[in-house]
Amino acid sequence: MAANPSSPFLPSTRREFLRRSAQGAGLLAFSRFAPSFLVNSVRADAPPPEKDRSILVLIQLAGGNDGLNTLVPYADANYYRLRPTLGLPRRDVLPLNDAMALHPACAAFRGLYGEGKLAIVQNVGYPNPNRSHFRSTEIWETASDSGTFASTGWIGRYLDNCCSGAPAGAHDPLAVHVNAINGEPETFVGAREHPTFGITGTSGGRRDNAELRELLERLAQAGGGGEEQSFLQATLMDSLVTETKVQRVLGEYRPAAAYPADGFAASLKSVAALIAAGLPTRVYFVSLNGFDTHFNQLGTQATLLRRLCEGLAAFQKDLEGHRLDGQVLTMTFSEFGRRASENDSKGTDHGTASPLFVVGSRLRGGLHGTAPDLILPRNHDLTFSTDFRSVYATMLEGWLGAPAAPVLHGDFARLPLLA
Amino acid sequence: MKLSIAPEEAWDPLPAAQWDAAAVRHLLRRAGWGVVPARAQEALAEGLPATLDRLFPAQPQAFPMPPSVARLEAAQAGAEAEIRAQADPAQKRLLRRQLRESARAALLDMTVDWLQFASEADNAAYQKWVLFLSDIYVVGFEKVGRAPLIYRHFDLISALGLGPAPVLTKAVSRSPAMVIYLDLGQNRAGAPNENFARELFELFVLGEGNYTERDIKEAARAFTGYRLRGGSEFYFAPRQHDPGPKTVFGHTGDFTGDDVIDLAYATPAAGAFVPHELVKFYLSDTMLPREYLLALGDRWRSEGGYSLGWLARRFFGSRLFFAPEFRGEFIKSPVQFYLGMVQELDLDVLPAPRFVVSPLRQMGQVLYNPPNVRGWVGGRNWINSASLAARRGLVESLFRPLDEGALNQDEWMAIQAAAASGRGTFVVDDARFSRLADAAPEAAAAHLAESLLSVPPAPAFMATLAGFIAGPPAAGPGERLRRLRRASAALLESPEYQLC
Repeated sequence: MAANPSSPFLPSTRREFLRRSAQGAGLLAFSRFAPSFLVNSVRADAPPPEKDRSILVLIQLAGGNDGLNTLVPYADANYYRLRPTLGLPRRDVLPLNDAMALHPACAAFRGLYGEGKLAIVQNVGYPNPNRSHFRSTEIWETASDSGTFASTGWIGRYLDNCCSGAPAGAHDPLAVHVNAINGEPETFVGAREHPTFGITGTSGGRRDNAELRELLERLAQAGGGGEEQSFLQATLMDSLVTETKVQRVLGEYRPAAAYPADGFAASLKSVAALIAAGLPTRVYFVSLNGFDTHFNQLGTQATLLRRLCEGLAAFQKDLEGHRLDGQVLTMTFSEFGRRASENDSKGTDHGTASPLFVVGSRLRGGLHGTAPDLILPRNHDLTFSTDFRSVYATMLEGWLGAPAAPVLHGDFARLPLLA
Repeated sequence: MKLSIAPEEAWDPLPAAQWDAAAVRHLLRRAGWGVVPARAQEALAEGLPATLDRLFPAQPQAFPMPPSVARLEAAQAGAEAEIRAQADPAQKRLLRRQLRESARAALLDMTVDWLQFASEADNAAYQKWVLFLSDIYVVGFEKVGRAPLIYRHFDLISALGLGPAPVLTKAVSRSPAMVIYLDLGQNRAGAPNENFARELFELFVLGEGNYTERDIKEAARAFTGYRLRGGSEFYFAPRQHDPGPKTVFGHTGDFTGDDVIDLAYATPAAGAFVPHELVKFYLSDTMLPREYLLALGDRWRSEGGYSLGWLARRFFGSRLFFAPEFRGEFIKSPVQFYLGMVQELDLDVLPAPRFVVSPLRQMGQVLYNPPNVRGWVGGRNWINSASLAARRGLVESLFRPLDEGALNQDEWMAIQAAAASGRGTFVVDDARFSRLADAAPEAAAAHLAESLLSVPPAPAFMATLAGFIAGPPAAGPGERLRRLRRASAALLESPEYQLC
C-alpha cells in the first residue's frame, strides 16, 4: 500500500513500522503483550513483503430489519395480502426488475444498484431460526448453528487463523468498531486476544501528559498477572499508543464526499478516515440501531433505511474520491427479518430470513439468490434460501483471502458475489 | 476458574473468624461502590450479619423525585392534550419537540441527583441493588420518552426490591414505562404482540432455553388488555383481554398475566435465574458452573420463598462471595468506577449534567438508557481503548480545579446551592495529601494502595509508585505534593483500580 499523505505519522509499511516501534517506546517493553514471533522478527529484521489489503466493513442493522419492506416483492399479491396496512404501494417503490423493488427511502441504494455497485443477497437466514434478539445476533456473530453455542466470533476466528503473525498486532488494531451498541462486538472475539479498537462517541481533547503516560506504562507492566489484570494491562498499553494516532487521523481527515448529518454517517466517515490513513485494520464494524419495529413501523423503518442508504452511498463516493474503493467491501447483516404477516400494531414481530446488502466497486451487482416464497398461512415465517455462512464463506475466501472452512467449521457454498 | 468451595457449602454463611478488614473492603466495594474508612471500621466492629442489615435495611430510603421531574409529571397530561388539540402540523411538531426536550432535561437532572444520592454511604448498597434489578427489568428512556415514568419504574423497583420476586415481576408488568417499552399496550385479544411475553421469560424470570415458542404465543394472550390511560396510568381493559383457555408450561386454563407469572416461577428454571444474574452483576465475568446456581436457587425457592431480601443477604453473606478467587478480579462498571472515586476521594457529584453524564457516556454507560432490553452486558465489555481513555479523562478532570468560567448560570447556581448544603467538594484538593507529604515514599505509596485498591499490588508495582513519589533527590515539599497528586491519579487510571 502506498504511503498516505494525510497521515505522516502512521507507519505505512511493515518495515517502517518495525523501525519506528524499535526506536520509539521500545519494543522490548511491549514484548509481554506482543506475540513472541514479533520480537523474533524484529531481531531477525526480516519482514515479509507487504501485500494489498482488502478491507471488509460490517454494518449491523440491530433489532431485526424487516426485509419484506426493504426489498419489496411488489408484483406478488401475497405480499399485499400479508401486509394489508404496511404493504408499500406499487407506485411508491423503486423497481429493480418486474418482481422486486427497493423501499422508497432507498433511492441512494437504487443509484448504486444502477451503477453495479450494490449486490443484494435475497432471503438469507439459517435453519431452525431463533427469534430472540440476543441469541440470533449471537448466531450471526459467531456463525454457529442454531443449536450450537460458540464462544468466538467469525472475524475473531479469521484473525486467529490468518493475522496472528502481523507485526502491527502489538500496536495497530486489526479490527475496529465504531459506535457498536455493546462495545466490542462478539464478532471480533477470537480464541486469542487480538488488537482491536473501539470509538464510542466523541472524546474531548485530553491533556497530553508525558509524565503520567510514562508512569502508567510502567505501572501497567509492573502489575500482577491475574486474568482480568492482564486483559486491562494489554488494553491500556494499546490505548496509550493508539489513542493519539486515531484522534489525529479523525481530526485531519478531508472526506471526498458530503456525508449526511447523522451519527451513523459520522461513524462511516470515521471508518473512511482510518482506511485512508492506511491503518492495517482488515475489518470495521458499525451499528445502526432501532430496527425492532413492533409498533408503527412505517416511519421508523423509512428513517433508518434512508440513513443506511444515504450513509453508505456517501461512504462509497468518499472512498472512490480517495481511490480506495477497490480495497473495500461493505456488508450489512441483521439478526433476523420480521414476521411476514404484519401485527395489529402497525408493526411486525420477530421473524426469520431477510435480504443482505453488499456495497463496493469490485462486486457483481444485482440480485443474488432467490426471493422468499410468500404462499404462507397467517403468522407463519419465511423459509430462508441462502445460508448466511455462504455469504461469510464468500467474503473470507473471495475477499479476505482466507480459507473459510476452519473459520466456519464447515463447508458452505460460495456465491458469485465478487467481480 | 478454579473454585475453592464445593457447591453444597458455597452459600453457607461466612464463618465469623473470616470477617476481617480485607473482607469488609471486598463487601463494601462489591455490594456498594467504594470504601469509606469510617464505615469500614464500623462494619468490622459490628460483624457481617449486622453489616448486611445496614446495607439492605427493612425500610430502605427512597430516592426522592427531582423537582424538574415532578414539574414535568404535573404538566405532562396537559402538554400532551395541547399537542393533540393543535391543528397546525408545524406547531404540533414544535410542541412535541419541546416536550421531548424537557423530558430529556429532567432525565439529566434525575441522573445527577441519583448519582449524588447513591454516593452517600447510607444509600450506596441499596441503590446499587436497585440498579441491579433495573438491569433485569430493563426500560430505556429513548423508547419510553417520559422521564416521570422512568422515575416511577425505578421507584417501584426500589419499593419492592427486597420482597418476593413474583410480586415485583407482577408490579413491573403494570409499570407504565414497561408497558410502553415492551409494547404491552399494543397487545390485545386476537392480535397478540409477543414482545413482553418473550422478554418476561427470557430476561426477567427464566432465561433462554427454558420455554417454547408456543409458551410465548400463549402467554402473550394472557397479557392482553394491559393498557395505559393518558399515556401514564395503568389499567386493565377487559374487552381487550383474551379470556379463553391458554396452555403455558403444560398447564391449561383461562390464565391472566399474573397467573402466567406464577406459572413461570413454578418451573424449575426460575430458582437459578436471579442467582445467575447476581453472579454476572456482582461477582464474576466467568459464570459459575450450573450446580452452584442451582444450589442457591433451590434454597432461594424452598427457604427464601423467592424473597429478594433473603437472596441478597444469603448471597453477600456467603462463603463463596468472599472466596479468594473473587477478590480484585471483577471489572468495575463506569457507574461504579465513578461513584467509587466519589466515595473514596470524599467528593460530591458535580450538579451539572454535562460534566457528569458525558464521561459516563464515553465510558459506555448512560443511566436510564441501556443499549437494549438485555441491559448492560458488563465485564470485559466495559473496557476497550476508547472507554479506558474516557476513564482516564474522568480521573484527570477530578484532579483539576473546576473551571468556573466555563460554567453557565444554571450550573453556577446549582453548584452554589450544593456547596451551601455541605456538598461542595467536587475536585481533589491538596489538603488530601498534606498528611502524606512527610511520610517516606514507600509508606505514602502503601497508604494510597491500601485505601484505593482491593488487593495488594505486585511488589514491582509498589516500587514503581514509591520511586515516582520520591522523585529526584533534590525535590522539595511542593514537588512531593505534586508527585503525590500525580501518583494518585495514575493509581486511579491503572489497571488495578479498574478492578474490585
